[in-house]
Amino acid sequence: MKRLLVLAVALAALGLFLAGCGEEKKADQVLKLGTMSPLTGPYAADGNDIRQGAEIAAEVFMEAGGIPGYSNIEVIPQDTACDPKQAVAAANKLINEKVTGVVGAYCSSSTIPASETLAEENIIMLTPASTNPKVTERGLPYMFRTCGRDDHQAPAAVKFMKDVEGVKTIFIVDDKTTYSQGLAEGVAMAAKEAGIEVLEHDHVNQGDKDYSAVLTKVKAANPDLFYISLQNSATGALMVIQARRMGVTAILMGQDAVYHPKLIEIAKGDAEGMFCTFGAIDKDAPSYKEFLTKYKAKSGNEPGAYSAYSFDSATAYLMAVKAAGTTDPVKVRDELLKLDFTGASKHIKYQENGDSGSNYTVYKIQDGTFTPYWNSLTGEKY
Amino acid sequence: MTIRESKKKWLACGVGLLWFLILLWPMLGITPDGLEFGNTLKVFGYVAVAALIIMLFYQVQQAGRLEAAERPLKAVGGAIQAAYEKTPTWMVLAVVFALAVIYPLLTGRYAHDVAIQVLVYVCLGLGLNIVIGLAGLLDLGYIAFYGVGAYTYALMSLHFGLSFWLCLPVSAFFAAIAGCIIGYPTLRMRGDYLAIVTLGFGEIVRIILNNWMALTNGPNGILSIPRPEIFGYSFRSLSSMYYVILGIAIVTIISVYRLNYSRIGRAWEAIREDETAAELMGVNTFLLKLLAYAMGATFAGFAGAFFAARMKFVGPESFTFLESAMVLAMVILGGMGSIPGVILGVLALVALPEVFRELELYRMLVFGGVMTLMMLVRPAGIWPAKRVGRRSEEAE
Amino acid sequence: MDFEFFIQQLINGITLGGVYALIALGYTMVYGIIQLINFAHGEFFAAGGYMGVILISYLASQGLHPYACLAIALVLAMGYCALLAMAVEQLAYKPLRNASRLAALLSALGMSIFLQNGLMLTQGVYDKAYPTEITSGGFHWGLISVSYMQIFIVALTASLLVGLNVLVFKTRIGRAMRATAQDKVMSALVGINSNRIIAVTFAIGAGLAAAAGIMVGLYYGSVSYTMGFVPGIKAFAAAVLGGIGNITGAMIGGLIIGMVEIFAAGYISGEYKDVFAFIILIGVLYFKPTGIMGENVDDTRV
Repeated sequence: MKRLLVLAVALAALGLFLAGCGEEKKADQVLKLGTMSPLTGPYAADGNDIRQGAEIAAEVFMEAGGIPGYSNIEVIPQDTACDPKQAVAAANKLINEKVTGVVGAYCSSSTIPASETLAEENIIMLTPASTNPKVTERGLPYMFRTCGRDDHQAPAAVKFMKDVEGVKTIFIVDDKTTYSQGLAEGVAMAAKEAGIEVLEHDHVNQGDKDYSAVLTKVKAANPDLFYISLQNSATGALMVIQARRMGVTAILMGQDAVYHPKLIEIAKGDAEGMFCTFGAIDKDAPSYKEFLTKYKAKSGNEPGAYSAYSFDSATAYLMAVKAAGTTDPVKVRDELLKLDFTGASKHIKYQENGDSGSNYTVYKIQDGTFTPYWNSLTGEKY
Repeated sequence: MTIRESKKKWLACGVGLLWFLILLWPMLGITPDGLEFGNTLKVFGYVAVAALIIMLFYQVQQAGRLEAAERPLKAVGGAIQAAYEKTPTWMVLAVVFALAVIYPLLTGRYAHDVAIQVLVYVCLGLGLNIVIGLAGLLDLGYIAFYGVGAYTYALMSLHFGLSFWLCLPVSAFFAAIAGCIIGYPTLRMRGDYLAIVTLGFGEIVRIILNNWMALTNGPNGILSIPRPEIFGYSFRSLSSMYYVILGIAIVTIISVYRLNYSRIGRAWEAIREDETAAELMGVNTFLLKLLAYAMGATFAGFAGAFFAARMKFVGPESFTFLESAMVLAMVILGGMGSIPGVILGVLALVALPEVFRELELYRMLVFGGVMTLMMLVRPAGIWPAKRVGRRSEEAE
Repeated sequence: MDFEFFIQQLINGITLGGVYALIALGYTMVYGIIQLINFAHGEFFAAGGYMGVILISYLASQGLHPYACLAIALVLAMGYCALLAMAVEQLAYKPLRNASRLAALLSALGMSIFLQNGLMLTQGVYDKAYPTEITSGGFHWGLISVSYMQIFIVALTASLLVGLNVLVFKTRIGRAMRATAQDKVMSALVGINSNRIIAVTFAIGAGLAAAAGIMVGLYYGSVSYTMGFVPGIKAFAAAVLGGIGNITGAMIGGLIIGMVEIFAAGYISGEYKDVFAFIILIGVLYFKPTGIMGENVDDTRV
């Protein structure tokens, strides 16, 4: 009983104080930038890319002279595990840490509730990866988005199917997340408008590894194109491998979440000829090359799909703070809206609602790499 | 401790470390480029040093060398114990209550968030405690009722504009109905069959929430759920929400306490200890087991409605099996059937991952390890209930 | 066309069922002997999958023939997981043998979280690719296609079923297992080292899980650190459905769960397939509360 009571008191103290009011460090002269992304769980791969992207952006920015008045930039990563509750907890933790800007989150279902929390304290949030339209459509003044939007991605994909590939029938599969299902529905709608017949729109569940049942359906339906809208590249690779093994001969097309070097690494030859929509990243541009060399040098691995977007989100925020000379959210917001620069991922110009425009490009997997194939803005092949 | 015993301990420690090395090396050391040892030895080094320090400490403590250091600690512990026993219970409760009330004034925003989570889980834990701690029915799908409660409030406020306070009992009522639906077919089953069936029900509810687009908006979840309001005052800030959940938690604690010592509570305990004997003594096991599910679900419904209002957003991701397992862990870790135990269990399991947030990637690793360790140290829970016998099925 | 569709789905169902059965066998053996739902079993499965890919790529880089790589990797990975399982048993379950079963259940859950994150930290967050070239290819008849891996999985499951039944019912160690499962104290009195028997059971169960992990890796093409969780739950359901503790039951349960999932996805709806699987499970348990084969409460339980 005695030990027990001591334990009880210790635990209570733990909960009350350690978790709560620790971190009373002096905050002056250090700019604090938070990141939120799934560092554990099934989406940890992309979450890690986001964290690294922001960390490297801060390092690069410091090396380039930093921000006058600030001795250092501290990046505080938080795990959301792609769970809304943990995302809100992470947001509150970051508020406690007195961050002034946040890069994140990954899953749209985390970004939306977390941004509501951050908005209460007027903290600027820049998402590098959440493409759901709702993210910027709630009238939050401090919500910015560096990546594109699903309702731009879907028409771009359909336009490509119709104009370039001359597709008449498609089969759509998604894995029932806010993002993947939203996009798949967008594609289905755009396809109907464009006169492409949607043979079926089926779903699989997250965590599944076996897609043979749905792929047998695809094979029986024999569509011209099989559109794959899954939450990450690993499941995308599983789908591609199994589709080819099952003997599905349709053109395969994926979206930005399956666009990842790992897709090719896992699916190997089966991925050859597959198309993916992703923001146009000009890999020959000096800004990207500079990013690539620094990223590789600092992290020791290849950048993932969202590394460049995360890098740019953090850079945009830091540039805005530097220009404003303060972290006051109103002024930083004004500066963010004034920004007009070419980042590693794309040319960034934030609009009034926080979006930065989409420039989806169709990539084709050729000889084991993603090769730009067709530009949705110009409607021409590369 | 004799030399022989300590030799045995050291030997066990050595064998354990060697075993760990054998398990660790293939994971880190074998690469397509060849075999390498540096990385493995580095990690192994840290673990080995830590293990040796713990062993040394243990040895010294066993040898009685630490008594000088332990004595004041023990004295403090004893003094607290004595003071605790002398003060009447109401006084202790009053102090705890006062601390809980002034808590938001003393702490920051993140601490509020953690405290709210703690209190939500207190409601959930105490609800599950009825099912598992009192009635002895293993439930692995408990979080489904939480989901039902959350979605009930979200939908009611969205479609009918009903206020939080009206929806609170309605949510609890729907959750209780869900509890009966799940409870009914499982009444014939025992032990682990019950576990898998409740797990299945939990998954079914989650999948339905994720797929019934027309009702639940599927994976997109339901957005902009209003915060509670009372006489024109809206509970906007986190600290005001803290008071709402504090109120709900206190109601829960009192009701569970009263239930515990009521006729029903005793009947549940009779079922837990020996169902056949309880039936023989005239306990209506069918009705009471169903009631246990319904009552447990009611508190989950309260917690769920609050959760929806607090997050202003509900989505199916919040109601996974892992969440059920978490609540179960809180109840067992704290001590089944004991109210202070469950509260301590909640504190431990909510506070730990938050404390470990600093560890970033190692967070869940440490969490899993600590969970096992706590079970090894205190298999009956941190604060075991007084009235617990050996469950009949264990004594086979 | 419709018939071919049906046959193809049947083949898919048998393969998936085989995978579940492979995992469920280990579950059911461990449950049979110490009545513990070993949540960490799914993690042994994942660890086996990782060990397989690590060993295959290392051995391949040493210039061995692919089939030799595969065979050696299979044996070594099974051994590795057996060691891992014995360590987990010794550390997390053995001290709790006389505590309440829920304490052991929670300890298992903690171990599961620990191992999963341990895998993540040592192997990275990205999926690892399997060299599927070794086993690619298959037969095609019209619309029906059967890959070599599918045949191999089903054959392996079937032979393991026979092998395990022989082990449990025809050998000395099997008899010792049955005795321990039935009554630990009594079997200790007649000279059976029950601790050793339990350790051996864990090792066999984990070895089977490792084999399943490699099969899954080769069949689907990749392994990830989260891969143990969902199949773990399904395999648990399969074991219970068949009558937990019963080896043939686990096999039948696995096949049923796999079939129901595939046919529900093929004919009704992909997103509700798990609902159908669980409804079948609940329905069966409602009418037969101890599973299809019935729980072995007499001397045949392992």
